[in-house]
Amino acid sequence: MSNAPASSTTDPTPAVSTPTDAKRQASGPLLTPGLLGRLERLELVSRKIFRGRMKGERLSRRKGQSVEFADFRNYVPGDDLRLIDWNLYARLDQLFLKLFQEEEDLHFHALIDTSASMNFGTPNKLRVAKQLAAALGYVGLCHGDRVCVRAMGAEGQHAPVLRSRGSFWKMLNYLDGLSGGENVSLHDGVKDFVMRGGGSGVVVLITDMMDKAGYESALRMLIGRQMDVFVLQVLSQEEIDPPLRGDRRLIDVEDGDAAEITVNQFVLDKYQANLKAFLNQIRQYCAKRSIVHVMVPTDTPIETVITKYLRTRGVVR
Amino acid sequence: MNGGGMSWIPALSGVLPWVVLACVPVGIVLLYFLKLRREPVEVPSTYLWSRTIEDLHVNSLLQRLRNSLLLLLQLLAVLLAALALFRPGMRGEENSLGRMVFLLDTSASMQAPAEDADGAGESGRSRFEEARRQIGDRIDTMTDSESAMLVTFSDRAEVMHAFTSDRNRLRDALDRCEVTNRPTDILGALRAADGLANPRRTSEIGDVNDVQVADAMPAELMLYSDGNFGDVTQFSLGNLQPTYVAIGSDAVRNLAIVSFSAQRDLQNPDQIQVFATVLNTGTSDESTEASLYIDQNLVDAASVDLEPEAQTGLSFTIESSDAVALRLQLDSEDDLKIDNEAFAALTPAGLVSVLVVTPGNRALELGLTTPKCQQIAACEFVTPDYMETEAYEKRVASGRDDLIVYDRCRPKDSPPTNTFTMGELPSDDWKWKTESGALTLIDIDRTHPVLRYLELYSLLVFSGRAVEGPSGSLTLVESDVGPVMAIASRDGYQDLVLGFPLVSEDESGDMQANTNWYAERSWPVFLFNVLRNLAGAAQSSGAPSYQPGQTVMARLENVLESVEVVRTVEQGRKESLGEQPVGAGGVVEIVSTSLPGNYQLIAAETDQVVDRFAVNLFDARESRLASQPTVELGYESVEATDAGIEVRREFWRPLLIAVLVLMALEWWFYTRRLA
Repeated sequence: MSNAPASSTTDPTPAVSTPTDAKRQASGPLLTPGLLGRLERLELVSRKIFRGRMKGERLSRRKGQSVEFADFRNYVPGDDLRLIDWNLYARLDQLFLKLFQEEEDLHFHALIDTSASMNFGTPNKLRVAKQLAAALGYVGLCHGDRVCVRAMGAEGQHAPVLRSRGSFWKMLNYLDGLSGGENVSLHDGVKDFVMRGGGSGVVVLITDMMDKAGYESALRMLIGRQMDVFVLQVLSQEEIDPPLRGDRRLIDVEDGDAAEITVNQFVLDKYQANLKAFLNQIRQYCAKRSIVHVMVPTDTPIETVITKYLRTRGVVR
Repeated sequence: MNGGGMSWIPALSGVLPWVVLACVPVGIVLLYFLKLRREPVEVPSTYLWSRTIEDLHVNSLLQRLRNSLLLLLQLLAVLLAALALFRPGMRGEENSLGRMVFLLDTSASMQAPAEDADGAGESGRSRFEEARRQIGDRIDTMTDSESAMLVTFSDRAEVMHAFTSDRNRLRDALDRCEVTNRPTDILGALRAADGLANPRRTSEIGDVNDVQVADAMPAELMLYSDGNFGDVTQFSLGNLQPTYVAIGSDAVRNLAIVSFSAQRDLQNPDQIQVFATVLNTGTSDESTEASLYIDQNLVDAASVDLEPEAQTGLSFTIESSDAVALRLQLDSEDDLKIDNEAFAALTPAGLVSVLVVTPGNRALELGLTTPKCQQIAACEFVTPDYMETEAYEKRVASGRDDLIVYDRCRPKDSPPTNTFTMGELPSDDWKWKTESGALTLIDIDRTHPVLRYLELYSLLVFSGRAVEGPSGSLTLVESDVGPVMAIASRDGYQDLVLGFPLVSEDESGDMQANTNWYAERSWPVFLFNVLRNLAGAAQSSGAPSYQPGQTVMARLENVLESVEVVRTVEQGRKESLGEQPVGAGGVVEIVSTSLPGNYQLIAAETDQVVDRFAVNLFDARESRLASQPTVELGYESVEATDAGIEVRREFWRPLLIAVLVLMALEWWFYTRRLA
């Protein structure tokens, strides 16, 4: 049934992914079979209870049919007679309905920032973002959640909504097809996503947060939709510790903005301090709004990220 | 007392070079930031960078400068280079009075090489250049608190710069100094140096009411000379502390011509007798050839062979009727060249012009027209009536005549020329002392040129009177009644008066001899002497010689308006020194006589040589080149200092090496950063 694992197993490349293996990783499959195996044992965590669309494995707000008792309520005409607790009627001679928790599917959205700044670094940030999205999506699919992995901007408009593990290949196809390079600001991308009725559920925003217009409005929009928001901030090693020295003319790959700068240790220290402050600011902003923020350096193996970082931060379990 | 302190000597003068220099570091900083070559590099986002830059903008310049090692190294290199340009230096231990007087000898002997004859080729410096270099070194060691004065001296002193602590000005003044061809006289320079150190009192030292007009300011007297000058006696050093720096060596070789003259033979005017004295002032035996040139043609030569301090006379006799310029040259190559050549000239043997006013005197006519007299004088005879005419007045006023002879007549006004009056008084300044009567000559002054070679005791004079000249007159012939021949000066001219006429007229108007002088041999000789000495014909033999730098006064004919001064240089080429106007009384002053040689004065109108003179060193003391171990300055014997004159230790070399090291370091950093 699962195409993607099959295709992965046909791949002769070794299943181990290391940061030093960046080049091979860049051309190899997004997820290795070994990782897929481990992912199957995980499940997505939602800190909120959402309404789903279909019967699933998650508790829903809806009362419905499951094995888990929820409540009693008085019978009103029109209720399904099958739900009447006849035992109570026998004892109390009154009609009560026995309500059970409904188990529905979870809506899981992975929103990938495909702007030009993501298409950078070794290993490539966009690729890491795709890997993260694919891994989380796979986790979702394995548990019958409604998974939608999409890019921001135009490429996200025809993103497939997937259910069941069997459609994993569709997701991979879609992810492979993402080329990136479209410069959509976080705000616009998220707005587009929200307007298109992304609905409720869990949303994982995979981005580098490097948006000159700011990230706050984007996150606010997601919060406003009552979504459980996770932010995976992908930063390449070049951003964390720039290998620049001397007199440089820095050119922004997104908007071509140029900054002339003489890079020396002082400037680097200053940059580090700025980066730290920037991350702290994001963390604080997210913490205040119960958004989980995870910083993902690109040189960390994807397996470590999923099974360690995301697990400790409660994205998966 | 001044310890060894750091001092600076800016190597650049003027403001502009320093401004340019100051612009260099600014330029480097500017270039550094307006850097042409900034390597473009793509980053995912300039978001964080621009925030960093914003932070930097707050104190951007300083922040940029920080840690920018390459820039700092460059600036440091330029700074060191600039520092090197300032020539920092230190002088060793020394104590100074704070003021110095540099006396620099610029006399002819300073042209000799500074080192021994053997070592002359090593540096090739002359003594003057060596002295100048040493003074320059000493000026370099001056601190800002010290001041100095620069005086040069040859036969005259020149204050090149008064007291100043500005080393640049002193160095400029030093550069202006030039060596001369003149002899040495240090007294003037000492007086110039003396001024501040020994202020004069208004009156006597013992006078308690007298205060000194100024505080004495002691000074160091730094004498840079070879010591070849006379002992200075009329001078007291007082508060001057003398230091004598002997320049030059005491082993020298030099042959010097110390005299050279030419004289026309009196007996035979075609012959010229030339005398020269050659002195060996060196310290070794010398032998050479002395060559005599007339107008660049070799005419005679003699060999000279002299021991140290020996001298010899040379004499040549040459045939030449023209006025000539002579040159004697020693063919040896010795330490001083200026005294190896000597010049002499004969002034033109031009005719003197004589006006004879006589009512008729055969003896006078005959005596003045002998062939010998005709060679030197052109005589014109007129009667006393001529004195009444306008032509006479004009002629007298023009100064054309060198001598006017008045025979038994007197002019109304004394003419502006020499006169010879016979049997009459030339002016009211003269008086008769006695009445006419027979007289006997008893004494004649044979030392006077007019009466040279004369024998007059056998003369018979029938009628004559004693004359009395104005004060200052000189009696030439004394008779039993008093002076009968006297000579007196009048405004620079000379009047010769003879108290008796040669001939007289009796009542019938017949001419009678008053004396038998006309029949004597001494008569024409006397007239010849009168022509030679009174009319100036004697000067046509030897031209005078002057020392270099002397002002030459030449007396020319009144009628000339201007003359051109021409100096004969090597190979007979002539160098014009410009035209010179003739002053009142025909006096010309020629000052441009700094070079030895034969000088001619050429009349501008006629292009004729009207006068000649020669300029020669002729100073045995100046030719003695051996540097003196001691000099006498105002009864004080000053020994040549052998303790080295302080020399600055300069730091510009290490500074430049540091610049090189810095540049190497910078290169290393640069390549390391690129890698």
